[in-house]
Amino acid sequence: MKFRLFHKFIATFFAIGIAAVAVAGLLIERELKMDLMTRIAEEMAAGARIIALMPTEEIARRAAELAERTRARLTLIDAAGRVTADSELGDGETDGHINRSEIQEARLRGVGKAVRYSHTLQKEMLYVAIPLQKESRTTGYIRLSRPLAEITLTINGMGKTIFDILLWTVIASLLIALLFSLKMLSPIGRLAAFTGKVRMGDVFGTLWIKPRDELGQLSENINEIVRTLQEKIQTASEEKRKLELLFSGMSEGVMVLDVENRIESVNRGMEELTGRLRGEVIGKTLLEAFRNIELHDALERFREKNVTVCEEIGLGDERSVIMDVTISAFADEAGGERNTMLVFHDVTRLKKLERTRTDFVANVTHEIRTPLTAIIGFAETLEQGAVDNRAKALQFLRTIRENAERLNRLVEDLLTLSGLELGEAKLHLEGVRIEEALDQVLAVVAARAEGKGLTIRKGMAGELPLIRADRDRLAQILINIIDNAIKFTPVGGTVAITTSPGEEGFLTIRISDTGVGIPKGEIPRLGERFYRADKTRSREQGGTGLGLSIVKHLMMAHGGRVMIDSALGHGTTVSLYFPVSRESE
Amino acid sequence: MENNRHTSREYERELQEIRDGLLYLGVLTERALERGAQALLERNSILAEEIIREDEQIDSLDVDLEEKCIRLLALRQPAARDLRFITTAIKITGHLERIGDMAANIAEKVIILNDLKQIKPYVDLPRMVEISRGMIRKSLDAMVREDSELAKMVREEDAVVDQLNDQVFRELLTFMLEDPTKIQVCLYIMQISKSLERIADHAEGIADMVIYMITGKSVRHKPTSVEQG
Repeated sequence: MKFRLFHKFIATFFAIGIAAVAVAGLLIERELKMDLMTRIAEEMAAGARIIALMPTEEIARRAAELAERTRARLTLIDAAGRVTADSELGDGETDGHINRSEIQEARLRGVGKAVRYSHTLQKEMLYVAIPLQKESRTTGYIRLSRPLAEITLTINGMGKTIFDILLWTVIASLLIALLFSLKMLSPIGRLAAFTGKVRMGDVFGTLWIKPRDELGQLSENINEIVRTLQEKIQTASEEKRKLELLFSGMSEGVMVLDVENRIESVNRGMEELTGRLRGEVIGKTLLEAFRNIELHDALERFREKNVTVCEEIGLGDERSVIMDVTISAFADEAGGERNTMLVFHDVTRLKKLERTRTDFVANVTHEIRTPLTAIIGFAETLEQGAVDNRAKALQFLRTIRENAERLNRLVEDLLTLSGLELGEAKLHLEGVRIEEALDQVLAVVAARAEGKGLTIRKGMAGELPLIRADRDRLAQILINIIDNAIKFTPVGGTVAITTSPGEEGFLTIRISDTGVGIPKGEIPRLGERFYRADKTRSREQGGTGLGLSIVKHLMMAHGGRVMIDSALGHGTTVSLYFPVSRESE
Repeated sequence: MENNRHTSREYERELQEIRDGLLYLGVLTERALERGAQALLERNSILAEEIIREDEQIDSLDVDLEEKCIRLLALRQPAARDLRFITTAIKITGHLERIGDMAANIAEKVIILNDLKQIKPYVDLPRMVEISRGMIRKSLDAMVREDSELAKMVREEDAVVDQLNDQVFRELLTFMLEDPTKIQVCLYIMQISKSLERIADHAEGIADMVIYMITGKSVRHKPTSVEQG
């Protein structure tokens, strides 16, 4: 960069120098030649005039001497143009001189000059002639002439000197120009290097140029521009960093598609929602990346209508993750490239909750309607005359009462459950001896077990710590579980209850039966409200479908938990884990 | 220049449309298969009827896609890779369409079976469905990722489905020998099994096409290493 500019500078200087020398030399030479010739001509004219003062005959006689004195060839010409005397040649030789231009000029203006090739002397000659006058009559002419070569020689000698002077001047000025341009160009080179670096993106530097002239001003300006640029870049990258943080930090999945509908970027939320890493999906179309035709169709619909589309779509390999997808478009500032943005919001839990709620309402309605139908039916039958048949009427009334009790139980269970779920249930926690609690419960259920011919076995592992529980609630839990065991164990079966210190700080109560068991797949759902593993039988037994749900919540309120293990046809084991009371430690 | 770029961009878009079309069709056939298995296991005739109805969509997409391919061949006169892609795409959509038809066939048999008494729980058929679904998915994955090794692996899975088919055949044969009243049910199950075996063949065909698409070498009618071993 620097050198090219430098070379240009020097070449230009050089060319200008040469041209100046050439032009000046030529002009000076010409000027000098003219000037010299004029002066020589005048000198010669003056000489001629002096000679003219002498009588003509004497001039003719002393021509050679006069010529010697004037250092010129002297020619005397009469009025008719005949040469009467010549310093170099014999006389009477040439005539017709009257038509020579110098003679003509002398005749008209008093002095004549001419440069001409002399055939006589075979040389380039300068001629100067003046008329000889006597009583204002031209009697002849005196002509002096000198060879031009003499003059040229002088001029050439002078020209060489002039040329030498000019040449040295040019060399000197070139040297000065060189120094000057080096001094000026070196900051320009630095400027170029610096701005080049800035162009490549390195904006973290300052340019140092000292001179307080335009270059200094320029570098100052550039520094200012770079400083502003630095600030702008810093602000922009800060903004970008914030946006990126926001983009990757949000739990919603965000995906941006380019104009070709290929995935341009995804955030971390998106990676987590779909289980596909950035590298797997970028540059692919939606179908290539996710193989989800609902998503593809949603995008197509968006493309067609060009309005923001909001849809629910199942994602993931089993389409088990339900997403709320919002598709919208945005153009860049210039309004050119149109990108598409897809925002995914995981609504799986929300959907599940929604379903649970609708299921709950449906279940409650169903559970209430069954006893109500029975009550209404039997009441109607009674009204229509059955009331008169005492035996029948008593039986019907009993059924009505049973169903009303079932309704009551249902309502109570629901209240208990909602109280537990809202966290309103107040537990009166104290140290309870589990054996005592069990004995109380067994006394209640013993009759029913005996009625079914079931054996209840109780196994206690020596001295057990107290558990931290609410006496009444503990009884409710135990009754629920043991009652269930009795209900679902066929005649002649066994219900075994064992207690043992379980994990750290917990006491385990295990209630095992030899009943029908529960299919493996249904165990996790047992805690759900109104969920029944065996739908018909459970209802026949008068259950509300809320028992286990209540147990689950009560155990949670106690800080314990329930585990159910079962093999279909071999029986079920319910394990209750109660926290040990500190009083017993 | 600008116009040129525009044209090539348009061309790229058309090629991508075909690629996406194949994937779309792939998902539809996969889903038809998945639902077929579900309808069989859950004895759900409504679902089976839905599968038969949805086959029409597969058929019409197949026709659309083939038309697109032919138009592209005629208008753009593609060469080398693109030509290979388009011609193989035509064949792949053919395979997918056939798979859709088979899935519909299976659905028809399921409807009949649902009216008959089930003789045993299905074990091998769902496995065959799983494997052939995986074959369709993986061969199209291989296309997307240009992974010919994956496509080669898909070819080898066909042998497993063939073995399962043979196993189902032998098992049903014993049932039929034991109890002639079970022959009707067994025959329908056998047809389903045969359809699944054919589906796996078509999936292998797709994998062959993908290998050709990627490498330019034909592997059709060549034994896989499993068969060789």
